Amino acid sequence: MELTELPLIVTVAWIALPFFVGFSIYLLPQFDRILALSVALISVIYASLLFIVRSPQTLELIDNFGVMLIADPLSGFFILTNALVTLAVLIYCWRSEKTAFFFTQIILLHGSVNAAFLCADFISLYVALEVISIASFLLMTYSRSSRSIWVGLRYLFVSNTAMLFYLVGVALVYQATHSFRFQGLSAAPPEAITLIFLGLLVKGGIFVSGLWLPQTHAEAETPVSAMLSGVVVKTSVLALVRCALLVPEVEPIVRLAGVGTALLGVVFIMFETDSKRLLAFSTMSQLGFILAAPPVAGFYALTHGLVKAALFLVAGSLPSRNFKELNQQPIARSLWLMGAIAAFSISGLPLLAGFGAKTLTMKALLPWQVIAMNIAATGTAIAFAKFIFLPHSNAIKAPEKVKLLWLPITILIGGLFVTNLFYPDAYSLGNIAKAIGTTLLGWLLYLGIIKKLSFKFSRIPEQLEHLIGVMSLSAIGLFLLAMYVNSFEGVG
Amino acid sequence: MLEACVFFTVLCGFFGLIFKQNLVMKIIAMDVMSTGTIAYYVAIAARGGLMVPIADNPDATLAAGTYADPVPQAVILTAIVIGFSIQALMLVGVMKLARDNPTLETDAIERSYRP
Repeated sequence: MELTELPLIVTVAWIALPFFVGFSIYLLPQFDRILALSVALISVIYASLLFIVRSPQTLELIDNFGVMLIADPLSGFFILTNALVTLAVLIYCWRSEKTAFFFTQIILLHGSVNAAFLCADFISLYVALEVISIASFLLMTYSRSSRSIWVGLRYLFVSNTAMLFYLVGVALVYQATHSFRFQGLSAAPPEAITLIFLGLLVKGGIFVSGLWLPQTHAEAETPVSAMLSGVVVKTSVLALVRCALLVPEVEPIVRLAGVGTALLGVVFIMFETDSKRLLAFSTMSQLGFILAAPPVAGFYALTHGLVKAALFLVAGSLPSRNFKELNQQPIARSLWLMGAIAAFSISGLPLLAGFGAKTLTMKALLPWQVIAMNIAATGTAIAFAKFIFLPHSNAIKAPEKVKLLWLPITILIGGLFVTNLFYPDAYSLGNIAKAIGTTLLGWLLYLGIIKKLSFKFSRIPEQLEHLIGVMSLSAIGLFLLAMYVNSFEGVG
Repeated sequence: MLEACVFFTVLCGFFGLIFKQNLVMKIIAMDVMSTGTIAYYVAIAARGGLMVPIADNPDATLAAGTYADPVPQAVILTAIVIGFSIQALMLVGVMKLARDNPTLETDAIERSYRP
């Protein structure tokens, strides 16, 4: 039987389910793990349904204020990422001492991220993003240490301020069009574009306004970092991508932000000596790859989410966070293998989904983006050579924690192998040669130059005042861009 | 004029957020900023007629534009609730933090937690 339409009730029930189950976990703490796992599995099924149905499903609130949800294959990619990462994280925490509270928050976070992926109007997106902030804050501060509370507070300050700017922007859009739809952006004044994009860029951790991201993602616990870096930041990235697809006027801004953050992130990761901070900065630069080519964003987001979650889980089991110390003592071979496969995928080597995603993205670039994105790809290869060339040996016994890793890593890396088949056209000789060439060049540069350099960036821009202050600079930059784009429209 | 006042409030909050050292003051500054945002929604909803959008006489249909627009107000109600809950959460966090850092100065906290 051909399935061409998904009943609306399915979508509604699926959105409501995580919240319902999330709070039930609190009432039935003995079933916490099973309940949480079933929600993640249902999300996997829902995402696959979206790929089978293919035609976009829209749900609109009565009357035309534009409050609506869209479920199409693009959101399918993001939902699948969310489902698989949540699944892996839950299995990773299965035998830990975590309480029902932790699982409640993971499922609430999962649900709100799903809701954000379906939103097609500014107000439901605002609500979803704020619920995400609260759930992530509670997860970050799960250990209740003063340090984690400070990191969480810093995150709330930055994100809440950004969302206030966003709300003012939304008011401007409503004033201009009497609707909250994403499409309203085309009729809105440049101030509205500035403020809304400022909010989304900050929340998504993109370019200079995203410098809150490294510390937040690096200081959180391993499973939480995997969730935050793998899926949570993608919520506002998907919103930006949707705006770019629906409103061609703003597409250049999104593409430019993508290139900017890809390069900025790469500069930081090349010289980073802390493994978790390296992964967090690499999230920043990989988000740039997603934004640089909005039409093919979904696939790249999926591969990046899987890889980054796997890498964070592996990095959590390494004996040290500092690459200098890691280079002195060999690690267990099994652990190295897991990290290396993930690193191969993110560097874009064939046989893994990262290759297909990178090829697709490179094809969808505009001419002015090509050079910058190739530099960013090489930089990524340089940075992940740090993982690939870690000393390893068979003689070292793997730490106990590695046993917990097998199943979640198998899910994530298995996902990379399977999704690799989504795009078989990528396997032409030229593409393969280019991918291997870029990676080898990166490795040579790493072994020849970067490994010997030691260079530390100042962390002053990551102080709270600077994070908030830089929003005003981003706003000015965005305003100039929006004006420029507008004047262009007027002439054309 | 009204809009200028609203934006002045938002900017006051924003600068307070940057220049105030104390965490509690920062949270209050954020509250000022959100008050400005809320006021902006109310300001764009209000229009010349300033009537509530309730038809007291079923025969008389309300002419479009003669009543205050209820949509932004409904929307901002949600935002008020969310903002309030986030502030409550932050204040709880600050209370916890105050045990180790009684002054609650961001500079000092940032220095002590830097790796």
